[in-house]
Amino acid sequence: MEVAGAFVAWLGIFVVVLADGRYGLALGTLLAAVGIAAVSLPIAGPTASAALAVGGLIASAGRLVAGPPGWTVMPAGSTPRLVLGVAGGLLALWVGLAVTSGSGAGLRFAVISMLSLAAARALSSDSGPVVLTAFGLLALAVGAAAGLSGPPHDGWPYLAAATVAAAAAWVPLRTPRAA
Amino acid sequence: MLPEALELVVLAAAALVLALAFAPVPTSRRGLIAKGGAGLAGTAAVAAVPTFDLALLVLLALAVLHATIEGKRTLASRLRAPVFAVALLALGALFARVQGPDVVHRFAAVGLAAGLAAAIGLMPYLHPFDPEERIMSSPIAWLAYIGPAVAAVMVADAHGLLNADTSAAFAATLIGLGLLNMAWGSIAAWLTENGGAAWRYSFIADWGLALSGFGVAVTDGRRAALLIFFTILLGRLPLYFASRGEVRGRVATERPINLLVAAALAGSAPFAGFAARVLLLRGATQLFWPLALVLAAGMLLWLPSSLRLGRSLGVPRGRQAVGVALVLAINVAVGLYPLPLLAAARL
Repeated sequence: MEVAGAFVAWLGIFVVVLADGRYGLALGTLLAAVGIAAVSLPIAGPTASAALAVGGLIASAGRLVAGPPGWTVMPAGSTPRLVLGVAGGLLALWVGLAVTSGSGAGLRFAVISMLSLAAARALSSDSGPVVLTAFGLLALAVGAAAGLSGPPHDGWPYLAAATVAAAAAWVPLRTPRAA
Repeated sequence: MLPEALELVVLAAAALVLALAFAPVPTSRRGLIAKGGAGLAGTAAVAAVPTFDLALLVLLALAVLHATIEGKRTLASRLRAPVFAVALLALGALFARVQGPDVVHRFAAVGLAAGLAAAIGLMPYLHPFDPEERIMSSPIAWLAYIGPAVAAVMVADAHGLLNADTSAAFAATLIGLGLLNMAWGSIAAWLTENGGAAWRYSFIADWGLALSGFGVAVTDGRRAALLIFFTILLGRLPLYFASRGEVRGRVATERPINLLVAAALAGSAPFAGFAARVLLLRGATQLFWPLALVLAAGMLLWLPSSLRLGRSLGVPRGRQAVGVALVLAINVAVGLYPLPLLAAARL
């Protein structure tokens, strides 16, 4: 369960790294949210991990209705993004499993890959919907990272992360004011 | 809530009141109250929440609120810096919490310091700046209004996450960042062509002093950082606000008021900046005296840029003149007797 959840979380953020269209971004958000919720389940409990999943679902729905149309997964010129997603995943895997130790290796891998790839995606894009999608996934990863702080775990970071991620996807996109 | 952060939130509220009272006539006061109040509430929430993770999430919420304010930059360009900052801070916290070799925990210290710099707006090229943009939607809002309380919270939380060894690495990184920002901020404020950009760089230079104060891990360093934040919130920010019309019109005057403003901005006696600098030098001397020499040399760089910024204020008239006089008086009062301010923060 933990391994599968961590892999799904990475796959989700990988899709977000590769996609420009609203369907691709929504699918990536949904996958990442389900993955991070699954990997948080043993530490955070069902309520908190359900909050992450619901937050991701709402964010995914918000992305479905706003943003560039279509899937646009791996458009022309996206080789650097492909390399980024794979290399970032491998690096996160190495750091999460080999460099660091202790329980929760899957959670560490999922959180490191989501934090780093979401930040990289936000830095490399000028598109509002893309940056907001990365923003939402970053919020979910920050919430899930609370599980690494050791007991006692309360549900507030998970709930707050879900709220921020869900709300960010519905932010209206305006064009900047000229002069 | 951390007493230092609470005091900084109160000072930010005072800065907002000053802006409302002495803003130039064309400024929308209703907009200022709404946006400034929202920023203040968000800053207070960052300071009030009990855990580092919640503080990061509130910071994200604040970032998205700020990004939705109507402005000249795109939403993507405004969100980029907070996203990067929170990612670095969260990675830093993660590395501090997990078991692993020492190098991982040192990476935690570097991540937390770099994240702090990015959150405030000290990373070059990450915060595009347009001098014509309104203050509330520009990076100045992070540098001068939200940043001080957020930095106090982040530094305190970071020390809580790190062990003694990595806390020292964190402090050293802050001093390094502080010296770097002092140098490039003050030199850029002096030499840049655009008057608005010069003000922005002058905030960055002040942040260099504040970061150095946090890095000098003795009480005098924290006192110095608090006083620097005071000079940012109730000195440089209101003066920048007052100068906005003149910056746009590129009017430069050399009256006594301009020299007084320049002295306040440069941290001369008897203004609050002077007390901050003395405390910082005293703290640095306790820690490692050559650092005090470097800091003292760096502080000289404030003079040319402050003269330039003082001239850019023009000759304030009417309610703006009252506002500038009040700001100078407050800075003199705190410079002469900073003890109540420090005692309120339990420093």
